[in-house]
Amino acid sequence: MGIGTVLVANRGEIALRVMRTCREMGIRTVAVHSTADQDSSHVREADAAVCIGPGAPRKSYLSAPAVVEAALRSGADAVHPGYGFLSEDPDFAEICAENGLTFIGPRPEVLSQLGDKAVARSLMTDAGLPVLPGSPGTVDSAAEASDLAGRIGYPLIIKAAAGGGGRGMTVVRTPSDLLPAYRQTRATAQAVFGDNRVYMERYCDSARHIEVQVLADGHGTVLHLGERDCSVQRRHQKLIEESPGPGLHPQLRSAIARAAVRGARAIGYTGAGTFEFLVHDEGFSFMEMNCRIQVEHPVTEAVYGVDLVREQIRVASGEALRTTQEDLVPRGVAVECRVNAEDPERDFAPAPGTLEEFVPPGGPFVRVDTHGRAGWKVPPQYDSLLAKVICWAPERGEALDRMDRALAEFRIAGPGVHTTIPLLRDIIADPVFRAGKHITSFLDTRE
Amino acid sequence: MNGRDGNGPGHGIRNGNGNGRYYGEALMNELTQESPRTTGDGTLAPLGYDNSGLALTDICRSIAEVVRVGPSRPRRVRIALGAASVEVEWDGEAASAAGTAPAPHPSGPVAAGGAGTEALEGHRECAPLVGTFYAAPAPGAPPFVQPGDHVEEGQQLGIIEAMKLMNPLEATRAGRVVEVLVGDGEPVEYGEPLVLIDPDDTGAGGPDEEG
Repeated sequence: MGIGTVLVANRGEIALRVMRTCREMGIRTVAVHSTADQDSSHVREADAAVCIGPGAPRKSYLSAPAVVEAALRSGADAVHPGYGFLSEDPDFAEICAENGLTFIGPRPEVLSQLGDKAVARSLMTDAGLPVLPGSPGTVDSAAEASDLAGRIGYPLIIKAAAGGGGRGMTVVRTPSDLLPAYRQTRATAQAVFGDNRVYMERYCDSARHIEVQVLADGHGTVLHLGERDCSVQRRHQKLIEESPGPGLHPQLRSAIARAAVRGARAIGYTGAGTFEFLVHDEGFSFMEMNCRIQVEHPVTEAVYGVDLVREQIRVASGEALRTTQEDLVPRGVAVECRVNAEDPERDFAPAPGTLEEFVPPGGPFVRVDTHGRAGWKVPPQYDSLLAKVICWAPERGEALDRMDRALAEFRIAGPGVHTTIPLLRDIIADPVFRAGKHITSFLDTRE
Repeated sequence: MNGRDGNGPGHGIRNGNGNGRYYGEALMNELTQESPRTTGDGTLAPLGYDNSGLALTDICRSIAEVVRVGPSRPRRVRIALGAASVEVEWDGEAASAAGTAPAPHPSGPVAAGGAGTEALEGHRECAPLVGTFYAAPAPGAPPFVQPGDHVEEGQQLGIIEAMKLMNPLEATRAGRVVEVLVGDGEPVEYGEPLVLIDPDDTGAGGPDEEG
């Protein structure tokens, strides 16, 4: 069935990004917003907008009833959840379906299985994907934790089963730290995700974060769109992403991509999704799957020439993917930098404020996805991501030069406003990063 | 919350076009005057009704209700008590534009309340959630409150239905109901003013300040 109106259940740059594709497809767009976002760009750009709650995300962007009500009364027939917020909430996907709304994402059952990281790990093990040594399921007692830790070995990582986005995990290096870390992670998981279940895995100090973009329709076609390297992280938060992964051996690259396709097929995945892997000395291991569009999806779009949101919408409306794996040939290198309203000098404390000056860069092969604009006051309630700068070039070195130029051109100023731009330029100039030899601990151990 | 701009960007649902609404409000206030005789014209006495005042009040209330739930504001209302004739005339074009579907097209004139009500003084009870506003406890039942009614703090003013759950809208201040700003069955957004109250506590008059 065709989709005539899409309600975008998100805010910020991703809401705008989804609306742009909708507009190109002749689809009407409905924005939802909190009172803190009355004046936000996504509200201005939509064909219609509904205020769904106060500034606190829990009462607005995370409120399934409010979003579904808004969809029903605005005549929407589909909901695009973006990333974060309700994007991977199986209950929300189900409520949408019950109300006759097409949820642009995988089926609720799939979301439910993969949302539990411990279940996802065991499903992928069954599908034949390599995983790091770890607990078969969740670790539900201190005794079990001690017993398993002995077999897994140190260092190990304790992760919240309901976790994601780099939160709710603790690295344990010595046996004496195990039980305090176990209790602490459980408490954090309970507080942050409302679910105290945790699981354990061997931890790799020296690894790269490589993820594979997959695209699957409801007609049995599963495609991959290569990998992204997201190893530049600050405390498990990605800062710079690129595609393809620099210096990956072609055999390893295709083995990882094949594993992702196998995994997606095994669970009957539909839509756009991402398999996250760690690439280490012994090969690669499945970490988790993200059942949504990702922040860093534009680098894949740039090298493959595919609009991932358009494909999401097409798949959700029941259409078959038009391309074959053979047609998907990457070209060149794309790099993305996340410009956050944070102060790197003050331990990345969020630094929101009024953007007195906001002039994004331009020029050839530069894409800027942002909801920022001059005169807009960045609300303090939400994610600090202000803009994504994506640069493409035939070669990696050129792409990085272009990125440095673009970041230098980006003018953002206002009282109290700080951004990650100086840090990003620093990283781009770093010989380790330039050589593509950086691993996930690169940034945290750099200072 | 009250800082929402009634003349903001031209987006369907929040595009509160106050035209016509004001006419409707004025009309309704007139129809629901406390003293029926002020709207009568001397034809009451010859009819010899003992309770004619009450009858007229009832009729006015019914009409106000018809006006409220109708597809749009009527163009003209004629009441002839002698022959008990009531004529309500709607503008055909306006009626078809507003539509009667339960889920109105957002590009239509839905959920006004911005521009038209900004000028009104008083305490606004605003929608605590997005949903459908109901002025009465059941279809056909008398509304919870009507203009002129005195309400206590905590008294129910209406219902907001969201996801099949009925959420009561309660007065947060005691006072006299000046106006119910949205029609029965109309979709409302979070923070949209629903009922205008003239608070008893005159010391804190003027529009309510909310964060």
